Amino acid sequence: MTQIDSKVNRRTVMRTALAAGLALPVGGALASCAGGGSSGTSGGGSKAATGKTSSDNPFGFSAKSTVDAVIFNGGYGTDYVTFAGKVLEKKWPGSTVKVSPSTQIAQQLQPRFVSGNPPDMIDDSGANAIGVNTIADKLEDLSDVLEANNFEGTKISDNLYPGVKEAGLVGDKMAVLNYVMTVYGLWYSASLFEQYGWTPPKTWDDLLDLGAKAKTKKKYLFVWGKEAASYYQQLLMDSAIKQGGDEVRLELENLKPKCWSNPTIQAVLAKLEKIVKLGYFKPGGAGTQFTQAQAQWSNDESGIMYASGSWIENEMKSQTKKGFKMTGIPEPTLDSSSKMPYEALNAAPGEQYVVPSQAKNVAGGKELLRAMLSKEAATNFAKTKLAPTIVKGTVPASGFGSTALQSQIKMLDAAGSHLFNVRFVSLYGTVQDQLVPWNSFLSGQLDAAGLTKALQGITDKVRNDPSVKKVKIQ
Amino acid sequence: MRPSRLGFLLVTVGVPMVVYIALVIWPFLQAVYYSLTDWGGFSASMNFIGLDNYKYIFTDGIFPLAVRNNIILAIVVPLLTVILSFLLATMVTVGGSNTGAVRGLKGSNVYRIVSFFPYTIPAIVIGVIWSQVYDPSKGMLNGALTHLPFGIGGHFQSFAWLGEVKSAMPSSVFVIIWGFVGFYMVLFVAAIKGIPAELYDAARIDGAGRLRTMWSVTLPMVRETVQTAYVYLGVVALDAFVYMAALNPTGGPNNSTLTMSQDLYKTAFTEGHFGRACAMGVVLAALTLIFAGIVFGVNRLIAGREK
Repeated sequence: MTQIDSKVNRRTVMRTALAAGLALPVGGALASCAGGGSSGTSGGGSKAATGKTSSDNPFGFSAKSTVDAVIFNGGYGTDYVTFAGKVLEKKWPGSTVKVSPSTQIAQQLQPRFVSGNPPDMIDDSGANAIGVNTIADKLEDLSDVLEANNFEGTKISDNLYPGVKEAGLVGDKMAVLNYVMTVYGLWYSASLFEQYGWTPPKTWDDLLDLGAKAKTKKKYLFVWGKEAASYYQQLLMDSAIKQGGDEVRLELENLKPKCWSNPTIQAVLAKLEKIVKLGYFKPGGAGTQFTQAQAQWSNDESGIMYASGSWIENEMKSQTKKGFKMTGIPEPTLDSSSKMPYEALNAAPGEQYVVPSQAKNVAGGKELLRAMLSKEAATNFAKTKLAPTIVKGTVPASGFGSTALQSQIKMLDAAGSHLFNVRFVSLYGTVQDQLVPWNSFLSGQLDAAGLTKALQGITDKVRNDPSVKKVKIQ
Repeated sequence: MRPSRLGFLLVTVGVPMVVYIALVIWPFLQAVYYSLTDWGGFSASMNFIGLDNYKYIFTDGIFPLAVRNNIILAIVVPLLTVILSFLLATMVTVGGSNTGAVRGLKGSNVYRIVSFFPYTIPAIVIGVIWSQVYDPSKGMLNGALTHLPFGIGGHFQSFAWLGEVKSAMPSSVFVIIWGFVGFYMVLFVAAIKGIPAELYDAARIDGAGRLRTMWSVTLPMVRETVQTAYVYLGVVALDAFVYMAALNPTGGPNNSTLTMSQDLYKTAFTEGHFGRACAMGVVLAALTLIFAGIVFGVNRLIAGREK
């Protein structure tokens, strides 16, 4: 290699300039990284100036502002929020509603929460939802939304299904507005049952008889998929709560020691164990993806019943056999001497909506919720998603042509005020842990005692964990 | 040092170093710091709690299972993949006839293309496709196996490959190996092609058969490549997030396919314990470094007279 004289020539100047030019911004970025993440920025973004409040503008929404909403893009999609946004934009000309879909709420919004500029409204749902418990102290109290009038002028809370406020309470604050009325029950095809002359079961013994009858026709009573084995946990809990009353529910919700050993729960579990032992669950569920398993019920009809929430119709819309008259019935009780009537339902308002306190346009977030709770938007939701919102009276008797929706409204009307809710699973995020023993139990590899022990272990772990804030449920 | 040389070093070494420190080392140090706190992930405030997170994760009954699963993967996956891809590479390059020039089997070009194909598919697509193949009722695997004669087919009716404890991990390991064998075969082919052909001629004259040639001539000459392949595969096995999450998002029966990365993901985003998740991440990084250290150490021991 020839020696290059060390003199300042064009080449060396260019090279050093390039090096310096690259090093400076990178160094600057590094310096800013050093503070990032752990520096506390309290107070976040400046809020939009709230205007004067009136009965037509209960939150002081400023008419020309933008509302930034991040919505979970799951079974219900996001178009119903866009519809409500258009209703809001029509009422307040000059305002804009921006709807951003997301399937990873926790992952995408975590940096926004830490840096202090979360969106104005969030649909916090789905597998990657933020556990509300974790952010409860950063959320607005939404009871003023319920107290306000809807866009048609009637007070919102006068026209809701019972239990909405309670379902959203974290401590004393109603931090969550649950939008969709979800009903848990047993689902089956009325046309299939008519064909074979079967009657829908009301008690666990009826279920056992039905399982035997199904076996003669080479069908299984129940199917399950590995991500949804917890649906049968819901069935167990709801049935035991109906049979044994509120004490059963409160013990579970407040994570009491030995809550899973409650005699009513054990009695129902014994029946479920019998169903597993008699082979009425379609085998292989622990290795089957849950929508595949559900298709075996709705399309294949190799399983005749499925325990689920009322989202099932929408979820399986493209995989349901023609002529499948999907119908829902309340979950069974042990016998007719149950503390709650057979018609009682776990009608959980679901699909959690929250408004972060640090958002730029808190009034906008609440105003969008008010728009969604108005008759126009609520009816649109019921019509396009075939599921009722928490607003009563938006579904006509025809159920928009859906037998499942008709049976949902029938169940809700028959239940009247006997509605209850089970919150601890989603509050503490325990479902992933609970899926493991449930898959083993439904496969027949774990018995009732083993399942009880495993579930109690999970409950005890949450109770004894000092870093988890517990919510007292009344 | 001449200014021109300094400038050269600044650009080619300095800039990448700065980027590396900023994007790799610094976040890792941050993670170590967060693992000593109780950060919930959504606020900017946290308390220093020392080693409590580490104590918790090693006694909660789930993370130790994940560590066990990852160690099994780290032992099995690199071993099987390297053996398989090395054998294939040998057959394709020098495994041909014992007479004439040193060449591979007939039709080697076809084997090369066909076995490389799975590597071109993204890992998540592989995971999703194979989870459908393994479906107990509608999957292709059971669809074929249930037609076996002599009553063997009956055993596979609705058999849950990913749902039974005995078969969940082996099935998942198979999918990972299937995806990687092609790439490592091509890697070994390149390495073997660098071996001078005279060695093979000499071995043939001395009367060595194909197997002996492979063990005593080919393998020692590609030792460095085997080491590299082993480390890369070990890193994949210690992570394995994409494959395991696609095949068994719930962690498998009795958590038998749960990996540390899956547990980390769940702890952070579902349970909202970011400090604890950082502790898991630190353990994962430490295990990966130990694994690489072991591979390098073994390689140095085997090197023998060469060093």
